[in-house]
Amino acid sequence: MISKYSVIRAIAVGAAVTAFSSRALAQQNPTHEVPAPAHGGTVVMLCDGKTSIEVKDLKPGQAMTHDEAVKVSRDLMAKWTREHPGEHWEMAQEAPPESAPSAEASPMGAAVPGNPAAPAPAPSMSVQQGDTYASFQPRDYKVWKAETDTFVADGKRIFHDAKALGSTIGVSCDMCHPDASNTHPETYPKYQVQLQKVALLRDMIDWCIENPIKGKALEPNDPKLRALEAYIYAQRKGVPLDYGKH
Amino acid sequence: MKARLFASAILCAIALALMTTVGAVESVPLSAPKPLNQKGFPAELYSWVIPADNPQTPAKVELGRKLFFDDRLAADGTVSCDQCHAPAKGFTDQLPASMGIHHAFGQRNAPTILNALFNTLQFWDGRAPTLEKQIEGPILNPVEMGNKNFDDVVAKVKGIPEYQQSFQTVFNGAITMDNIERAIAAYERTQIAFDTPFDRFMAGDQNAISASAKRGWSLFNGKGRCMTCHGWNPTQPLFTDNRFHNIGVSAHKSDFVPLARKALVLIAQGGGGLQQLDQLAIQTDMSGLGRFLVTKQAHDIGGFRTMGLRNLLVTQPYFHDGSQQTLWDVLDHYNKGGVPNPYLDGGLLPLGLSESEEDDLVAFLVTLTSPEYASASNEELEKQRARAKTDRPQRDEAAATGKSGLGPGFKGPFGDMTPAQNEENPALLGGD
Amino acid sequence: MAARHKSVETRYMEDRDKVLRGMRRLDRRTFMKVLAASAGAVMAKGLMPPHTFQLVNVAEAALDKSASATGAPGTPPFTFAYISDTHMYVRTLNQRFVKGAVKAVEDVNALDPQPDFVLFGGDLAQLGRPEELEQGKQVLSELKAPVKMMVGEHDWFYDMGDKWQELFGPPNYSFDWKGVHVVVLMSVHEKDFWTARGLSPADRMQIVAGLDNSIQSRFEVGDEEREWLKNDLAKVPTTTPLLVFSHSPLYKYYRNWNFWTEDAEQVQELLKPYPNVTVVHGHTHQMLFNQIGNISFYGMLSTAWPWPYAPQGLPALTVQMNRPDPYDQLDGLGDGQVNVSKEGLADMMYNLWDRNPVTVRADYLRSNGKTYVPPAPQFASY
Repeated sequence: MISKYSVIRAIAVGAAVTAFSSRALAQQNPTHEVPAPAHGGTVVMLCDGKTSIEVKDLKPGQAMTHDEAVKVSRDLMAKWTREHPGEHWEMAQEAPPESAPSAEASPMGAAVPGNPAAPAPAPSMSVQQGDTYASFQPRDYKVWKAETDTFVADGKRIFHDAKALGSTIGVSCDMCHPDASNTHPETYPKYQVQLQKVALLRDMIDWCIENPIKGKALEPNDPKLRALEAYIYAQRKGVPLDYGKH
Repeated sequence: MKARLFASAILCAIALALMTTVGAVESVPLSAPKPLNQKGFPAELYSWVIPADNPQTPAKVELGRKLFFDDRLAADGTVSCDQCHAPAKGFTDQLPASMGIHHAFGQRNAPTILNALFNTLQFWDGRAPTLEKQIEGPILNPVEMGNKNFDDVVAKVKGIPEYQQSFQTVFNGAITMDNIERAIAAYERTQIAFDTPFDRFMAGDQNAISASAKRGWSLFNGKGRCMTCHGWNPTQPLFTDNRFHNIGVSAHKSDFVPLARKALVLIAQGGGGLQQLDQLAIQTDMSGLGRFLVTKQAHDIGGFRTMGLRNLLVTQPYFHDGSQQTLWDVLDHYNKGGVPNPYLDGGLLPLGLSESEEDDLVAFLVTLTSPEYASASNEELEKQRARAKTDRPQRDEAAATGKSGLGPGFKGPFGDMTPAQNEENPALLGGD
Repeated sequence: MAARHKSVETRYMEDRDKVLRGMRRLDRRTFMKVLAASAGAVMAKGLMPPHTFQLVNVAEAALDKSASATGAPGTPPFTFAYISDTHMYVRTLNQRFVKGAVKAVEDVNALDPQPDFVLFGGDLAQLGRPEELEQGKQVLSELKAPVKMMVGEHDWFYDMGDKWQELFGPPNYSFDWKGVHVVVLMSVHEKDFWTARGLSPADRMQIVAGLDNSIQSRFEVGDEEREWLKNDLAKVPTTTPLLVFSHSPLYKYYRNWNFWTEDAEQVQELLKPYPNVTVVHGHTHQMLFNQIGNISFYGMLSTAWPWPYAPQGLPALTVQMNRPDPYDQLDGLGDGQVNVSKEGLADMMYNLWDRNPVTVRADYLRSNGKTYVPPAPQFASY
């Protein structure tokens, strides 16, 4: 026989079904202490065993309509969310209730299994599957790295080639910036004194092309300009960003 | 009834006097304090430059204005500040070099008071750090206002009842040189000039300036290489970097090295105070040494302040010696890379600007005119344009295109230097 | 051009005499005040005011004969000027580098009194072409003082030094000057990297011209020339001060950019017996100095373009020059002179264009940076 409690509990579970872990469903349903009603209504408890609300107009033995039941389960979830700011229902239910001391609770509030005695989850079970970023293959990474390296290498070539830069006086970037030294790409955007305005790296590259290199400035999306920018950034991998620094 | 007639007669007389003094039919005299709500007015910068020990008050400004126009401040009572800084002439005198008492001429062109409050240093060579201190130069200079010392000036002012009253209101009766300076400086700080077509363009009005001026703005930022020294940005929209550069103007006339050696000896002997520097700058052949007189550092020889570019058509002639008559002369000077001399700033290069590019740059500079000077500027522009058609003393196309300078027989090395900016709306690059 | 110099000189001499006559009337106290005030901030920092590039010292030199540059024959002190790393393309391609070289020539010609000689520090040409070298010779021929030429890699690797030797003679040589033994080295030899790759002369030169490609070999003086140096020094008593001119630094600063001499230790070993050795080198295009044992090292400025400081290996004693402004095509560049003292120690004066000059004293290097510390930069390169 399906008591109204189990109906409501089922609805509550159903309302929270967004990404409910199958593992949690597989757990045994715990038995909970439901508090007594204070206003003559019916207390409905969420299956976390803690969160409950009292449906005031519902006399013991009365049945709710479908709509009323959905509203109750929504209210329950809202209350749970209010009382667990920053947490996610699904992840919270991953943790065995009551047996997880909060000593190792993560600062974000999500209940990470903190019981030292609990066995570490098998790797395949804890890696999320199915979405775009989860389906990259090793071969993809190799392809992308090859593409990036080519792009950067092209920038390096142009950086060292007065003709490719369009210089009319035989000057290339590497003459003043060997290995792209002293370009400090990590400081952009910044107020560039030579331009007298806030500049991005490619603005300064264009200024240098016009002035010391005496070539024609490149359009903002010219492949050569983008490649040059890429090479200059690549030479500073790992240097912390520090925009505005002079 | 009689009183009312009398009062309105007085008002008429005042209005008439103002109009004839100012020489233009303006609703507000050009000498009046300017409103601060002009387009392009840099409010934040303004708050930085008002000194803590000299806040603006209407009474102080009015006192300063009276002093500014008072020729009793000169030794012989014939020269007031506005003789060299006349409101109708953009607060300059439109002479190559200024004339003082006894009709004596100095060596330097009078800079404008407009927006001078924003300068980090005053004078062409930065020898005065503030507007207040600047006043001490002309007050004591023998060929400007010719006073022997400050006490004479203070005594004179003390003896004038009108001033006694004003100083009582503003300074609790303390008539000192410092307070005279504070009052005049406070008045000067009301002379701001924005609200130009360019300012409106930068605020988003695409139609505020012509296509030629837009091309000029693009050149200003690119091929013309102007922006680096005549910098503009919304926080500091003054067209100056407040630094000193030798662009070769003095080299027309000065042999720097022997003059510099002479100056060093004199400064060492004389102490190098403001009065001595003022005299060296205004009265001697060492005037062309510029910033060097103040810092005594070799790389400052022949260096002068980058001046702002607003209202150029009422502040002619140009450069520290007023040697250039038209904006085309100025551009020709830059186009050929300045005048070679051992201390020429390394940023000066031949630019390779064509005639139409120079015209575009002039068109851009014209848009930096504030509304109250618009008609006077148009008149001057037409005069300059007519003159520039026939008389271009600084023009040197061979130098500008790199054909001369290092021997015959080579092509100009500059290639096509059209800037990459969006010529339809270059404002997008500079504005917010 | 010669006529113009004459008239400037005549006018200048007349003016100078006037100033000096005026100064002689000053009593000693006022005279010292004049000198002190004009040397001003430089003196206050404990730096010796740079000679003759600084304006007032003409008077000082003229009035104080004992310290003049024309000391008794056979003994220091003396002064030589330097111009280095002009890297000229032919002027039809690039005026800028030619203008820099010409400016340096004009600077040196304006010195009063004239230096004993002018050291040219190497890299006269950019791509080693005969036309570039001819043009370079033409520019340097305007110098009034005698010129001592030194070769750089940009001059050599197009034709392996044929044109250079035709124009300027042997790449390494030595001479004695006022009690100092001066050695000019060819220190940019490279092990053959081009034959196996089948490179043309132009390709070889292009690779050598690039600083950061790491294809070329590291510079070296080489076995043969070290042997020559050993024999040359055999005749020089160890009490003699040595001046060694070299294009590469003769120590190991930064391998990737060939700021490097592969056999530096062996060369330094040959110089070890001499207590007073100064190496003046080119190639690095920056204010650079070092002390290794008994040897002081000074890098010369370029007249063509400045280089950033290498990411590692910078000598601890080097005080960087301020980062150059790319809008100013003279910034970070210049020429200079070396003042050799009675003891044969050398102070280096960097005549930086568009900036205040900087003097680096032998005392600074030899005290390991304790005395006469040069002014610090506000903006180092990074």
